[in-house]
Amino acid sequence: MTAYSTIGKSIPKIDVKEKVTGRALYAADLKMPGMLYGKIVRCLDHAHARVLKLDLSVAAKMPGVVKVLGPDDIKAHSYNTGVLDLMVPEPVGKMLGDIEDQTVFTKHVKHQGDAICGIIAHSEEAAERAAEKVIVEYEPLPVYLTAEESMQPDAVQFTSLKPGNRAFQLPGEMFPNNAYGWGNVDEAMAAADFVVEDTFYVPKQKQCQMEPHAYIALFDDGGRLQCWTSTQMPKCVHIKLARMFDLPMSRVTVTQTVIGGGFGARLGMIGEPLACAMAMAVPGRPVKVLYTREEDWIASESRHPGKYWMKIGFSKDGAPVAVDALFRSYKGGYYTQGSGVAFTTGSWLGGMYKWGSCRYHGETYYTNHAPCGAYRGYGNPQTNFVMEQLVERACSKLGVDPVEWRKKWHKGVGDDGWCPGVTYPSCALDECLDRGAAAIGWTEKRAKYANQTGVKRRGVGVSVMNHTSGAFPMLLEHTTCTARLNEDATAEIMLACSDMGQGAHTALQQIAAEALGFRFEDIHIKAGDSDSNGFDIGAHASRTIYVGGAAVKSACEDARKELFARAAQYLECTVEQLTMRDKIIYLEGASNRSISAQEICARGVYNFVDAASGQRTGIPGQIQGYSSFLPTSNSPPFAACFAEVEIDTETGELTLIELVNAHDVGKAIHPASVEGNLEGGAQQGMGFALTEEIYYDKNGLCLNNSFTDYKMLGPSDMPKLTTILVENPDPLGPFGAKSAGEAGIVAPIGAVANAVFHALGIQIIEAPITAEKILEAIKKNGGV
Amino acid sequence: MKKCEITLTVNGEQLTTMVAANQTLLEVLRENLGMTETKYGCGTGECGACTVLLDGTKPILSCLTLAAAMDGRHITTAAGLARDGQLHPVQQAFVDESGIQCGFCTPGMVMKTVGILARTPNPSDEEIRHGLEGNICRCTGYAKIVSSVKRAAELMADQSAAE
Repeated sequence: MTAYSTIGKSIPKIDVKEKVTGRALYAADLKMPGMLYGKIVRCLDHAHARVLKLDLSVAAKMPGVVKVLGPDDIKAHSYNTGVLDLMVPEPVGKMLGDIEDQTVFTKHVKHQGDAICGIIAHSEEAAERAAEKVIVEYEPLPVYLTAEESMQPDAVQFTSLKPGNRAFQLPGEMFPNNAYGWGNVDEAMAAADFVVEDTFYVPKQKQCQMEPHAYIALFDDGGRLQCWTSTQMPKCVHIKLARMFDLPMSRVTVTQTVIGGGFGARLGMIGEPLACAMAMAVPGRPVKVLYTREEDWIASESRHPGKYWMKIGFSKDGAPVAVDALFRSYKGGYYTQGSGVAFTTGSWLGGMYKWGSCRYHGETYYTNHAPCGAYRGYGNPQTNFVMEQLVERACSKLGVDPVEWRKKWHKGVGDDGWCPGVTYPSCALDECLDRGAAAIGWTEKRAKYANQTGVKRRGVGVSVMNHTSGAFPMLLEHTTCTARLNEDATAEIMLACSDMGQGAHTALQQIAAEALGFRFEDIHIKAGDSDSNGFDIGAHASRTIYVGGAAVKSACEDARKELFARAAQYLECTVEQLTMRDKIIYLEGASNRSISAQEICARGVYNFVDAASGQRTGIPGQIQGYSSFLPTSNSPPFAACFAEVEIDTETGELTLIELVNAHDVGKAIHPASVEGNLEGGAQQGMGFALTEEIYYDKNGLCLNNSFTDYKMLGPSDMPKLTTILVENPDPLGPFGAKSAGEAGIVAPIGAVANAVFHALGIQIIEAPITAEKILEAIKKNGGV
Repeated sequence: MKKCEITLTVNGEQLTTMVAANQTLLEVLRENLGMTETKYGCGTGECGACTVLLDGTKPILSCLTLAAAMDGRHITTAAGLARDGQLHPVQQAFVDESGIQCGFCTPGMVMKTVGILARTPNPSDEEIRHGLEGNICRCTGYAKIVSSVKRAAELMADQSAAE
């Protein structure tokens, strides 16, 4: 193992002191001189309607109101809050059919919470009171809550650009028969010794980041649009706002505030278009727009729910000879990430096992729910719930141990990953399975729980997953970084990568320190400022350490190269003869010949012409390393998860006993952060499997838009949690790192579902697996 | 809305402010007094991000507390726990145990922990988890928050022993 100075150490994260005192500034904490408050008036009583009449006259006369804005008052292009349009070449985008179907305010309400108009006032309260005086008349339209309803020929069209309300399907121009995969699935399936098949339901899960969305926007007197936001993609928001308001990017600034959690909720834009549109209406005045929790719930994006059909064919020896799948999701009212999730859901499927042949269809239809967008895992949780339960069913038929089957048939080094043609550079999944199985006592418990009687039944289940480290090669991957050395030999590392709370900036600082050969405390990460930071596509696809970290490493190596080149000149030797310890550069074998990094940096900046000799006092110029980094690789992480549950067969109540999550992380740059990500992911994954779903009544109105009614696992609901970091440095990732951001959510889903199967001998194919569904399944089964 | 003048002692400092009868303590702390360390997460008492301490050790939800009812009372916020740049043992424990990710729930978690340890100086795992109910964290899965509370109990015990 290479000895590192900071890599692999869980030093206190750089932002914890300001967070533990509450002094970290989130967008809602900011206040500016002359600040006004913007309130968005939303449609709360309908999920699908046309606005027949909008009367703002009474609201406009309310005390404290500065301006009222309806749809016709907005001068901005329509937009898409998602970012896929920026991530693929234009012809591909056209083929995929990415569209801009959102407007600041709408006359066609497509989901409860759609924005109708806005009020700008001197106080939040004045804006709220005026909002109550807005008169809107609606013509209710039929409400579609499933794809099967909205695809009917007589259904109201959400947009003329998407006939039949089919927002997306894999395009035939790219994928014959609108499916991707390999081999002849029909033949292989027909020749299979047996098949397993079912149609599952996957839930509309909410990110529930703790910080509600909040913004300040200002169209300043210099004609620049400024926006303070906790977006996880500042540079995408930068160009999107510029395009939307017809401004050059040099006249738009995005300042990223501390991010109070994201999990995809802040991927792309959310309320920035609304806040900025209001600010454009009152030049010179900052406008603050705060989302209430309820607004956050009904108006911001969630996971894609829907029906997921899958069929897997096996030969007698257990070989998975064919997999065939269709994920048909319910898009919600707007397109957003329409092409993305429908696409990647199948990527994780194709990348997991050595399928003899594979065919995946992905499509999504408009429905009258809050729009679906990005949520941690981006289709992988859905696939895990379905694929891993079907694999379990097959193992049961084959009479083979599910751990052994997975060890035999999972993909590994050299196999195609999530994108055919791009192979896995590393894989430690076998070790994850072995260590996880040992930690939970797999063999003993599988035997012990095999023939239970009695009211309470226990079960243990396993699941595996692959994810991604960045979006290469499918989507644009690019991060720029500048490493500027100060004259005292400390460094500013400037890049637009986001820290969403996962500890990314600390890990990037560790990478910088290691690559420069400086101390951790010599480094400052300057992020979140679109004026001083170069391009970065943003925090998505678990890319920040793998791609952002590589950009930091490359920029720092560039700076270090110049530092050493100058040292070689001063010491009259070649760079190959030099080593650095404690920021002093030595000529090897001649301990009396050295120069400090500080002297080189200082002489570069404070560089004078000597009056006597007319010569410069040293090598001039401030040292600055730069990298505009576009990766040429992807090193996905793997994981194995084991869950133990106990089920009361009389009440259906399920108790989580234990969860062991073993992750192949390559190299953990900051182990405590990696563990923290995986533990938080586990809470969300178990929630997907057991408790979390946004429910709607038949009119499309949300029934559980609060933390009381939307059930997440609380501290007492959590099982004993064991996180195992399997470190097997990846040959291509920076310092061997692979991703760990999203991955923690995925495998617990299948593991919990399979533990239920082990306990009851019944599979519940609709998530979340609630007590009601368990009882119903037991009843349907005629008992257990 | 009827307004009245109230006096609050916040983090040891006596402050007088005009409040409307319907204003919550959270709003007054954040808007009137500029103390934004107390967070709005839901406004309905379900997430605990707005937790502050009443009279030093009792955690209350400032979003459900009317400011006018707090006239003359002592309030402590997360920023007030730290003194002269020195973190309170509970805060230090959250730092030591990596109990902080996005940080939005953290001030409330810290306040809640002070309350738990005031009632139960040496809590079991179960008591900690039970005590934390009502404070939601979406980042950590609570694992490192529970270990932070345990560590806080140790640090507090060390501190009492030293005094």
